[in-house]
Amino acid sequence: MANSLTGRAKLLLGLAVVLVALMPIPVRQAGSAERTFRVEAGNYAYSPSVLSVDPGDRVTIELVATDVVHGLHIEGYDLSVSADPGQTARLSFVADRSGSFRFRCSVTCGPVHPFMTGKLNVGPNWLLWRTVGLALLAVVVGIGAIKR
Amino acid sequence: MNGLDLAGLPVVKPMLRSRWPQLLVTVLALGGFVLAIVAGLSGTPVGNRNFSIVVVWIAWWALLILVAVPLLGRGWCSVCPIPAPGEWLQRGAVLGPRRARLGLGRRWPRRLRNIWLQNAAFLLVVLFAAVVLTQPLVTGLLLLSLVLLAGSMSLVFERRAFCRYMCPVGGFIGLYSQLAPLELRVKDTAICAAHRVKTCYTGNADGYGCPWQVFPAGLRKNTNCGLCMECVRTCPYDNIAINLRSFGADLHRPGERRLDEAYKAFIMLGSALVYAAVMLGPWGWLKSVAYAVGGWHWFVYAVAFLVGVLVLLPTAFYLAVRLGHALARSESEPQRSFLHLAYALVPLGLSAWIAFSLGFVFANLSYVWPAVSDPMGWGWNLVGTAGIPWTPYVSRVVPLLQVTVLLAGLTWSVRVAREIAAQVVVGRSTTRAAGLVLPLAGFMFVITILFLWLLV
Amino acid sequence: MNAERAARWLVLASIVGVPLAVAFARWKGPNLHDARVIEIHGQMPGAGGWSPSALRVAVGETLQVRLTSDDVVHGFAIGRLGWPAIDVNPGQVTETSLTFDQPGRYVFYCTRWCGPEHWRMRGTIDVIGSLTDPAEADYPLYMTLDLDLDAAHPATVVPAERPKAERGTSRGPMLGADYLTPEFYRSQSPADAWLSLRSDPALEDLQDMAIWDLVAWIWDRNTTPEALREGERLYRVNCAACHGEGGEGDGVMAPALKSDSLTDFGHATVSPAAFNDPSSMLGASPALLHGKVIRGGMGTGMPYWGPIFSEDQAWAVVDYLWTFQLDRDS
Repeated sequence: MANSLTGRAKLLLGLAVVLVALMPIPVRQAGSAERTFRVEAGNYAYSPSVLSVDPGDRVTIELVATDVVHGLHIEGYDLSVSADPGQTARLSFVADRSGSFRFRCSVTCGPVHPFMTGKLNVGPNWLLWRTVGLALLAVVVGIGAIKR
Repeated sequence: MNGLDLAGLPVVKPMLRSRWPQLLVTVLALGGFVLAIVAGLSGTPVGNRNFSIVVVWIAWWALLILVAVPLLGRGWCSVCPIPAPGEWLQRGAVLGPRRARLGLGRRWPRRLRNIWLQNAAFLLVVLFAAVVLTQPLVTGLLLLSLVLLAGSMSLVFERRAFCRYMCPVGGFIGLYSQLAPLELRVKDTAICAAHRVKTCYTGNADGYGCPWQVFPAGLRKNTNCGLCMECVRTCPYDNIAINLRSFGADLHRPGERRLDEAYKAFIMLGSALVYAAVMLGPWGWLKSVAYAVGGWHWFVYAVAFLVGVLVLLPTAFYLAVRLGHALARSESEPQRSFLHLAYALVPLGLSAWIAFSLGFVFANLSYVWPAVSDPMGWGWNLVGTAGIPWTPYVSRVVPLLQVTVLLAGLTWSVRVAREIAAQVVVGRSTTRAAGLVLPLAGFMFVITILFLWLLV
Repeated sequence: MNAERAARWLVLASIVGVPLAVAFARWKGPNLHDARVIEIHGQMPGAGGWSPSALRVAVGETLQVRLTSDDVVHGFAIGRLGWPAIDVNPGQVTETSLTFDQPGRYVFYCTRWCGPEHWRMRGTIDVIGSLTDPAEADYPLYMTLDLDLDAAHPATVVPAERPKAERGTSRGPMLGADYLTPEFYRSQSPADAWLSLRSDPALEDLQDMAIWDLVAWIWDRNTTPEALREGERLYRVNCAACHGEGGEGDGVMAPALKSDSLTDFGHATVSPAAFNDPSSMLGASPALLHGKVIRGGMGTGMPYWGPIFSEDQAWAVVDYLWTFQLDRDS
């Protein structure tokens, strides 16, 4: 009973999987706006911890350390900045890669330092939505395979 | 490759029968383990610069959860240094085998012959995780107490009571070892049946009786086999095989399913969810609360954690089972279905742990180089890598790996749910099976989405 | 049983050998029993600050210092000497050597903010020896002038807008010589200076604002661009965390100072002074500000920078503080 889908259903599902996983999405270059965020870093947290911009935006992060020296390293962009309390540091870049990127503290700021994180969202998180779609298809295929 | 007996390969067989290769790896691991304890107790209190934290919780953990458990199952247990000193004392020999025996050799209490203690031990470590994972002193004390506990248990009880019933890590390695493409089994049970002495259990001049208290001919799943290779050495008929097999073969066979293991599946899934939120989420207050061990905030966190993992998650799954029963118009006992179907969460659980671990292992792997060169944080530079700065590795690839692993886990879990449903609940009826699996797949889907939201 | 014996040695080597090797390496490493080799650990002040925090060395003798931090990023520098600061990184060791040619008590201090109590992270080095270059002990100006640093200093008059030194350039050089001495500048608050100028018959025809511009011009000619740059640097590194990068008294540490969280040290603290508030700033003389900087206190939690800043540095900071009130001559 493991695999009892008809050939046609298989083809359709296969197409759906390919579509959800690989369909190119027109990139809305709505961006090129100037976006400035004042991000306070203290006590193992960033505030705000989630930054959302449009692809193409010119982003400036003003990093304000509120207790000890902190850093901010954006994964995927591989950009870093660090700030002492009282000395706001600035990081400017063009958000030319879309997706969701974690940022982490890059300066040891205490025991929980390796887990001090935040997120930069450039446009919609298509990886997440595609995966949700694929997960849904996985469930459909999983149930559909029960047919005899 | 399926069914290939690795133990039968001419190169491998002498390596397994000789006690030396395994001993050397164990002693090497023991050296690292001792260094981790020394560094934890007397090195720098800065976690990401201390050998104990970096090598145990980044390097070892990565090897365990990303490589050893998925590919080798209990492979780590076969060289684990934690029970080794106790076992050597118990046996009165390092290399052995020797008949003489130190210690009381008591039998493990019947009531405790399950993994509830392991579940409790794991939860205990997890509740203190924010401190254990970040403070060298706490990690050093934890490792030291584990080796002392294992040692004293070896002296009081027979065989490896610690590994089977107490080790906080062993419980989940056992659960997830069912997924590994590797198994130790007897080749021909008829030979065992005819073998009067059962040297695999009692031991002989070539090796010890099974330290894991398992009769190899009775093995149906990997959970309790520690891959210690003693039976390979003691079997006079060369009847033990180490087979390559398909992933997760144990789950696809109806077998002995137990509530303590079912609960382990919930504990692991729930803990991964909480870890992902605490460690990789953007909520600083949650990190502070999890770190403030002993404070009332932490107490609330601990209670919420335990209720979530031990009550809410299983209850939600139970309700999904009940709903499935209603949809499938099944007359079966829901409790029984719950117990069996909980095993369908095993692939999703492991994939969740892998996805979570991918989220911090590669980001922090570069801490390993300085920690190896300057294990104590005392300004040494043993291998010249003390100055390598922190830099996250492959951070562009990690999210892709994470979603792939989670999707694979979901697909696999739904499939296992389908098979268990057919085996133990609804039989061959297709519409009823679909009805039963639908809410379970929904449960798994929601869990997957939660992980995606937290991790990607 | 030779194999068994070999195996036992192997096990012994890992269980006993590893700790022994670590201990041996520690012992063979930098000789920490030598008084001239010191390992200094930095921790946040609440956790202990520097340890050890009191060192002794003879004049001309070289002190080997191994610096490490047990928690977060700190920095190491010695007050008033102008040697470059050294970063002290968590779990890493930085070595440096110190040689003093004058005896006395030196203060070493943390140079990177490590919490609201950061400035308390200080230690002393007693340098023993005979004085070869005796400098006369100078009293700080606020003592000579007998100023009460703790008193409120409201400005009796404030300008309608920001005074600009540039606008005073034309009339400034024609002011009486008394107004142009450093003594006048240091001892007068801008408000007092304004009152003196206002009552000067020679300036009768000037508008009130033009008098303020003259005050700004006097203040400007008593500093230099170099001093202002140094003052700005010192302010950013040492002052801005409490007083704010814009001098508004709203630095990142200000909320912590207002809370009760700092009672460990038995001192009450209040909000940091706002340098952009003319009603108090313009009532303070440079000597008064200088006194506040070097002595601190005032019941506010203000650190004392006397042992840290050199005389020039302290005045440079004071010079920079006026930029929150007065526009300099570009």
